[in-house]
Amino acid sequence: MKAGFASARQLGLVSCHDCHLLSRMPNVTAHQAACCPRCGGELHQRKPNSIMRTWALVITGMVFYIPANLLPMTITSALGSTQADTIMSGVIYFIHSGSWEIALVIFVASIFVPFLKFIIIIYLLLSVQFKSIKRPKDRTLLYRITEAVGRWSMVDIYVVTILIALVKLGVLANIEAGPAAIYFAAMVAITMLAAESFDPRLIWDIVEEKHE
Amino acid sequence: MNEGNSGMKHVEQAPEAQIQTKRGFSIIWVVPIIALLIGGWLAFKAWSEKGPEITITFDSADGLEANKTKIKFKDVEVGILTEIRLMDDLSGVVVKAEMSKDAESYMTDKTQFWVVRARVAAGEVSGLGTLFSGAYIGCNPAQEGKPTNRFIGLEKPPVVTAGLPGRHFILKAETLGSLDVGSPVYYRGIKVGQVIQYDFDAAAESVNIRVFVSAPFHEKVTQNTRFWNASGIDVSLDTEGVRIDTQSLVSIMLGGVAFDLPEHLASVQQAEENKIFELYTNHEDSRQKTYAVKRYLRMYFEQSVRGLDPGAPVEIMGIKLGEVVDVKLEMNADDLSARIAVLVVIEPERIDTVVEDNVAMAGTSHVVSEQESLDNLRQLVVKGLRAQLKTGNLLTGQLYVNLDFYKEAIPVQIETTNGYMVFPTMPAPLEQIAQRVDNILEKFEKVPFDKIGQDLRETLAALTQTLEEIKATSGTVNEQTLPKINGALDDLQRTLKGIEATLGTDSALNYNARMITDELTVTIRSIRSLLNYLERDPQALIFGKEGDKQ
Repeated sequence: MKAGFASARQLGLVSCHDCHLLSRMPNVTAHQAACCPRCGGELHQRKPNSIMRTWALVITGMVFYIPANLLPMTITSALGSTQADTIMSGVIYFIHSGSWEIALVIFVASIFVPFLKFIIIIYLLLSVQFKSIKRPKDRTLLYRITEAVGRWSMVDIYVVTILIALVKLGVLANIEAGPAAIYFAAMVAITMLAAESFDPRLIWDIVEEKHE
Repeated sequence: MNEGNSGMKHVEQAPEAQIQTKRGFSIIWVVPIIALLIGGWLAFKAWSEKGPEITITFDSADGLEANKTKIKFKDVEVGILTEIRLMDDLSGVVVKAEMSKDAESYMTDKTQFWVVRARVAAGEVSGLGTLFSGAYIGCNPAQEGKPTNRFIGLEKPPVVTAGLPGRHFILKAETLGSLDVGSPVYYRGIKVGQVIQYDFDAAAESVNIRVFVSAPFHEKVTQNTRFWNASGIDVSLDTEGVRIDTQSLVSIMLGGVAFDLPEHLASVQQAEENKIFELYTNHEDSRQKTYAVKRYLRMYFEQSVRGLDPGAPVEIMGIKLGEVVDVKLEMNADDLSARIAVLVVIEPERIDTVVEDNVAMAGTSHVVSEQESLDNLRQLVVKGLRAQLKTGNLLTGQLYVNLDFYKEAIPVQIETTNGYMVFPTMPAPLEQIAQRVDNILEKFEKVPFDKIGQDLRETLAALTQTLEEIKATSGTVNEQTLPKINGALDDLQRTLKGIEATLGTDSALNYNARMITDELTVTIRSIRSLLNYLERDPQALIFGKEGDKQ
């Protein structure tokens, strides 16, 4: 035990998710589950199946990332001519029209951040699975950033929905959401769930095990 | 460590958790499987819908934009432009386009592509939609032909007839006249088709005009049908009065083609696709009978042929048999004697041959062989048939060739020179005339002039009366009929002026059309700039223009 930290798991304790009652964790077999003696909710010392669940969700998110970027996000029709824009072509358009700030925001929020999240979550998963003990504090920080930044990718979806509602000038101009919007929204939601299902305590469990 | 110990105490007091049996299978892996299925389906769809890539060359890329310009057939999108670049020798542009999957079978060398822009041509305004949406590429797919992916774009939109019921025909004409692509084709005044293409046939020195006649009128085009140029107005003045013949006002402006079956020709089976017809210059010409069988004869005259021109008729008993083709002088180098060689063409079909069982054959169906008709001719010559020059018109001195039987004719042998049969002629019988004049004079002496003088006076009195009546009649003609004709011509002139005023270059209609186009252009330009502004600053929709804030 290092520097007097005692985790609930080491003490054989578990807190209920719902009523937060602290109870002693019994030994359960693979086909059994521990339940809260007060409210009956299921008890877990760590997020159940965290690694596998996170892997599944990350893979799902990456699969959705492809159509989200290849298919058109918005379909703009002005004076009868329609134009389908993917996220990247929108970024390029804004760079060409001089609004590089907007281009940067869209690029960071919609392309860079989701990609970064995949990298970070996969790195965390691998580091836990290969029982790495390097820089656990930095890795926890990475996890915190991932969780915090995830929701901001939804900005793109909000912009699209607002544009659709605003630009309804009939024949003159009209904006519709493209198929990529669905995949993009699904990708953002699923990566948020993936970040959520990863249990950062696993990083520290390994560090503690190695020190014992 | 105190905290740790007290923690341990609390741990002892904590209640024991209960135990429940739990499920073994983790359902979470269904999520990526579903995602993979969706992704795989999207990829498969994209791959399976990818059509052929084609290249089209155009003179200019005016109005075309990569990734924006569509290729359309019947207003259905069948492809999109993906790339525009200049040709290596800078003589034009090459555009690349990605076609949809189902267009693959139509990419043959017969398929045509052209750029659809707003176009104002006499008769119609087309492609107005492109003022808003920008130009697009039209196509006329054809399934027959060799598959290819390289095309040469047309500069002018063709008339699309693919898939329309009807038939194409080819008209051969010497000149195109006022016809153009899109000129109407009329059948008894109904517009039943249009000119879809024309080109110059260098070998035949003629213009080939392709027309399309739509169903059900294509059934009216039979092997015997005559096409004529119905452009403009046909005014003729004859014994029946003034006659003005035209198909429609549009055909006056644009020209047109009409077809019908001449009354004298039998309706036979329908003409097949792409049958070649001759285009007659006017309706009157198309009604002339034509004869396929022509026999050339040569005649020698030893007198002046002044007044005998090519085209002068060859008649027998007042019925036209053929015409003079060529007149020239032949000089005999030995004795310096001269004679006139006249080449005539005879159309034997003009004669209805009565065969032995007394069935009159319709001239068109009975075709006599060359040998047969020459034999016939020989027999006729033996019977005394001779050619003689006669004066057709006393005023102009026009001559024609008359064939007649002369009992006193000297029998001759028909010979052949230079491949032509030489037909025997009779000299203009001057001596016979002199003889007859003698006879007349003799008879003249016996005439009772006194009595005649008396009769003459009576006749003159009657004549005077008749003349007065004629004068009265002609007065009516002068007062009534001529002004009517004048009036009719004036009316015609007024109508034409009206047409000019309505449709001409300086007309109100034209001016208005120009004004509307100009206004449209201005409107569209301002809408464009508005949209450009909105594209750059969409927030203007909520917050207004930036300049307005101050």
